Amino acid sequence: MKAPINIDFSQVKVGDELPQLFIDVTATVVVAGAIATRDFMPVHHDRNYANKQGAPEIFMNILSDTAYCSRFLTDWAGPEAMVRKLSIRLGVPAFAGSALTYTGTVTAVSQRGTEGIIEISLRATNDLGDHVSGVAVIGLPASGASA
Amino acid sequence: MNAEPNDASANFAHAVAALVGRPVGSGKASVAPDPVNQPMIRHWAAAFEDTNPVYTDPEFAAGTRFGGIVAPPLMLQTWTMATPMITGIAERGGAPVPSEGTSPMTVFDEAGFVGTLASNSEFEIMRYLRIGETISATTIIESVSEQKKTRIGPGHFVTWVTTYVDDSGETVGIQRFRILKFKPEGVPS
Repeated sequence: MKAPINIDFSQVKVGDELPQLFIDVTATVVVAGAIATRDFMPVHHDRNYANKQGAPEIFMNILSDTAYCSRFLTDWAGPEAMVRKLSIRLGVPAFAGSALTYTGTVTAVSQRGTEGIIEISLRATNDLGDHVSGVAVIGLPASGASA
Repeated sequence: MNAEPNDASANFAHAVAALVGRPVGSGKASVAPDPVNQPMIRHWAAAFEDTNPVYTDPEFAAGTRFGGIVAPPLMLQTWTMATPMITGIAERGGAPVPSEGTSPMTVFDEAGFVGTLASNSEFEIMRYLRIGETISATTIIESVSEQKKTRIGPGHFVTWVTTYVDDSGETVGIQRFRILKFKPEGVPS
């Protein structure tokens, strides 16, 4: 595997945009995420059950939402990054057959000792609206990239 | 004023106030059925196509500030999820195991706030977990809001806080989870 690159903390500025993350939310994606997070609620794997609950399709579970948020952050920041806070508001469902786009913007940059602290505002949207919106705080060695 | 609804609403207000500080579930800590382990991490990383090598590549991870493999931070909640009893899970409304006793949330259901909508999930991560650690979680109802008008009907926001600890009792992460218990007002779902 090619060594992933850490972003250089000294170059991060308020207003920087994270590379978008696009997730094609297939039934397989929904089921794989639910089971990998040990969430066996039938609405995340059984369409007949979801229909009886009034949902047109199975839909993504919340543990998958936070998982994708963390991937979105570290895909950008690199393997030395630590997710310290993630605070999300849950909006419209992400049904199988839809697609999610994750976007994020740096809203604050500070330093605590040798640790660079980056605050990010993020959201994941689909054709129904905001599926997830929130804020994250990540830490990164402030001494610079050490890939 | 009619005394009866007043009594009912006073009783409800008391019952709601009594919820704050109460544990969700049995009150005992939920102990992870398995310690933090590489197979579950690999399964998680594959499901979310998260290629961060600190989760799965020991050699790479050894060269990072973590000094070795760490669990994905947002996997925290996964470790203590109950091992499900698959038979009957649909009949139990998705509850992974038959519930012991009554849920504190029945206070709302009995007052007509039968709808449940997850609203917020907030994580604070103190440190990343290493392979072999056993995590326990304790969940307490932290607050219940006044009745609010929402677009799906009147309801109360209920926040519970889960504290995750390691083998030595040190807190490794905190999660706040907020739901809306509401009286459905016939919005299309």
